[in-house]
Amino acid sequence: MGRYVIRRLLQFIPTVLGTMFLLHYMTSLAIQFSGNPVRALFGDRTPPPALLQAVTERLGYGDPCLEQKGNPCFGLFLDRVSGVFLHFDFGINMRRQEVTELVANAVPFTLKLLLIAIIFEAAVGIAAGVWAGLRGGSFADNLVKISTVFVISVPIFVLGVVVREFVGVKFGNVLRDQEWIPDVIAYGFFSPGFKPDYPFASLLIPGMVLGSVALATTARLTRTSIMENIRADFVRTARAKGLANKRVIGVHTLRNSLIPVITYLGVDIGSAMAGAVVTETIFNVPGIGRLVTAAARTGESPVIIGVVTMLVLVILLVNLLVDLLYAVLDPRIRYE
Amino acid sequence: MRGKFLKVAVAATATAMLATACGSGSGDGGSDAGGTLRVYASEPAFLLPSNGNDEPSIYVIRQLYRGLVKYNAETGEVENDLADSIESEDQKLWTVKLKDGYTFDNGEPVDADSFIRSWNYAAYGPNAQNNGYFMKRIAGFGDVTSEDPDGEGPEKAPAPTAETMSGLKKVDDLTFTVELSEPFTGFPTTVGYVGFFPMAQACIDDADTCNETPIGNGPYKIDGTWERNVEINLVRSDSWNGEPGKPDGINYRLFADVDSGYAAFQAGELDVMYTIPPARFKDAKASYGDRLYEQAGDSFNYVGLPLYNENFKDKRVRQALSLAIDRQSIVDAVFDGRYAPATGFVAPSYQGAREGVCTYCQKDVEKAKALLAEAGGWKGDKLVLWANAGAGHEAWLQAVGDQIKGVLGIDYELKVNLQFPEYLETADNEQLTGPFRLGWGPDYPYLETYLSPIYGTGAHSNHTTFSNPEFDKLMKQGDSAATIDEALALYQQAEDVLAEELPVIPMFWRKEAAIYSENVDTFVWNQVAGADYGATSLK
Repeated sequence: MGRYVIRRLLQFIPTVLGTMFLLHYMTSLAIQFSGNPVRALFGDRTPPPALLQAVTERLGYGDPCLEQKGNPCFGLFLDRVSGVFLHFDFGINMRRQEVTELVANAVPFTLKLLLIAIIFEAAVGIAAGVWAGLRGGSFADNLVKISTVFVISVPIFVLGVVVREFVGVKFGNVLRDQEWIPDVIAYGFFSPGFKPDYPFASLLIPGMVLGSVALATTARLTRTSIMENIRADFVRTARAKGLANKRVIGVHTLRNSLIPVITYLGVDIGSAMAGAVVTETIFNVPGIGRLVTAAARTGESPVIIGVVTMLVLVILLVNLLVDLLYAVLDPRIRYE
Repeated sequence: MRGKFLKVAVAATATAMLATACGSGSGDGGSDAGGTLRVYASEPAFLLPSNGNDEPSIYVIRQLYRGLVKYNAETGEVENDLADSIESEDQKLWTVKLKDGYTFDNGEPVDADSFIRSWNYAAYGPNAQNNGYFMKRIAGFGDVTSEDPDGEGPEKAPAPTAETMSGLKKVDDLTFTVELSEPFTGFPTTVGYVGFFPMAQACIDDADTCNETPIGNGPYKIDGTWERNVEINLVRSDSWNGEPGKPDGINYRLFADVDSGYAAFQAGELDVMYTIPPARFKDAKASYGDRLYEQAGDSFNYVGLPLYNENFKDKRVRQALSLAIDRQSIVDAVFDGRYAPATGFVAPSYQGAREGVCTYCQKDVEKAKALLAEAGGWKGDKLVLWANAGAGHEAWLQAVGDQIKGVLGIDYELKVNLQFPEYLETADNEQLTGPFRLGWGPDYPYLETYLSPIYGTGAHSNHTTFSNPEFDKLMKQGDSAATIDEALALYQQAEDVLAEELPVIPMFWRKEAAIYSENVDTFVWNQVAGADYGATSLK
């Protein structure tokens, strides 16, 4: 087990460096081909060359290799890597804020959002899956099957905007006109976006939207898995032993059925981050997703490289944890 | 999305530089209803007066800080704010006298030093302050900035030869003199821009902290610190001696996306929203009718003509091109009426602006054809129309191309694939091969700001390379005229030269629009500074 973990951790190094280099190369190419992003800060008015140069230097776009098309800028890359790993310096954005500070400000919001999304999708998804799986072919089963197809087929940016307009604005406005509804529901939960006055309540709907797509997949996975296991030999044996139904379903069936679901939830953190890019923008949540979107639009290389590298690390760690969790769920799996 | 961002960025730099102060000249003093005004905002770039040059920053800085002058809300005229007087004999050496009794929030006095130190800080090259550019008229500006000897790395630019501008001299605590490198009658109008606001010593000693927790001298002070990307809260400042702000506090909610801001407005979470998503404009007009404020603004959109290209050297060709365009139909078809057609080169709200200066800015098919024939017809290949990518310029530029083709029979193609930085660099390097779209926002509320930076020989934003001795002469005379009225008359003559020579084809003025909620009693829009939150009262 220990050796396995060390081997996996060592694999992180080329993955992270590779990602960083790709990002570095792509953002450098973007600057080489589409010009100095600092010039765009001044818009239609041409800045005096001295000022343009001073600002360019200050923001870290002064390396001459950024003017040679196709140059991979190895020198700049080494500076960046050593900055990140030796000095924990991820650079600054166009507004001269440290990337680490930007991330530190944004992470709490994204974590809360992800947590809400994952709890929502795991709790509701697994419950619906078990409900449907135990009664294959029944009304419950069909209801879950149809409603999940419906949710899966709606892209998250459509769902997000529809929910914001109809639940947050239209339905919320009706609620806000009613005196008897508590403020935390009318103004917090049903707010059409994140609201600093209700930092948790106003994140619930965005979190649910973010979790909804994965919820459908979770429900379907659980359903199939339960249906398969309920006919397995060990379940029949358990029943034959005369175990209580609760124990047969709860321990023997469910525990074994959850292995694919846990894998999925682990992998899903990566795609939930991608979904967060969309939901955070729609619901104005000041998290990592909104940060990356904004940085990608303006081509702020230090922010893109810094944030995405951190995300890669997070996803690698989560995947490792998920792999280790298998061993806990299924004693047959061993690592060495 | 990128398009929207760029548009906002351009509009921001443009409208923003439009000098400012939030004089609530509305006068009635009125009832003090208090309450907190909740406004839509996007994340400011900087809250330091020397560095904030975008619209979101300026909207906050203007409530936190005050400068020498402010602008009348209705007429845009310059009124003294912290200055007692700004006078000059020769329009070159200006003497500024300050009113006594103003302080910063930390107790430091607002004196001559506070202005001198702020302006020097902004101008000093190594500080890389965005508003340093505005100090360029002051004598000694060249000594505090320096250029890289070889143009681009690897050698670093040498340190400037001086740390302070020689043109700024303190006379006594409340008096200082400003020497300009060239006479400029309009100097007092320029100092209402945020770049000229004073800063406390404590602020400059630790500019980063001051950026997060500003030490202002204005009617409001910050409550807590700037909560990045979330909100900024201002409350009335006790240290302010002038006319107090109307609301007790101002809450700037920071949105990254204008659509989510509009949803928040619809849900009653905001009192004022000064940007309306283009796609929702009709909806907003229908839903909020009388609570929608709309006015032709001052950001100028034009199609420049590259005079370094043979085909555009004859002014009759330029006139013919302009005559071929029906601006109103483009505004109606492409922009849902969110722009106003331009009939001159100066914003209609400006002192000295005249209607219909540009006689070639009305569609006239016969005249256009005649002029082009007189000039010997179109000699080039396809007319290449340039715009930067992803900023929503394709549609209207195509309409321009279609109209030119329809009237003059010149085939055209669009060149709209360059990103903004590269597009600007191409323009800076004079490599544009055909008419190009660009915009301009004023730096200060003085007519000259629309003329010399864009059309003066060798001026920094003269992308057409227009050079006309008569124009230059008139501008120079205007700069050193004894009074503003005399100056305006000369500038108007210079504008007439442009109307005949047509180095650029004036297209539209962007309309400014804002919506406000039922909680708002009177909404104040300053002709120069835009939405004035400190003067807007709540019910």
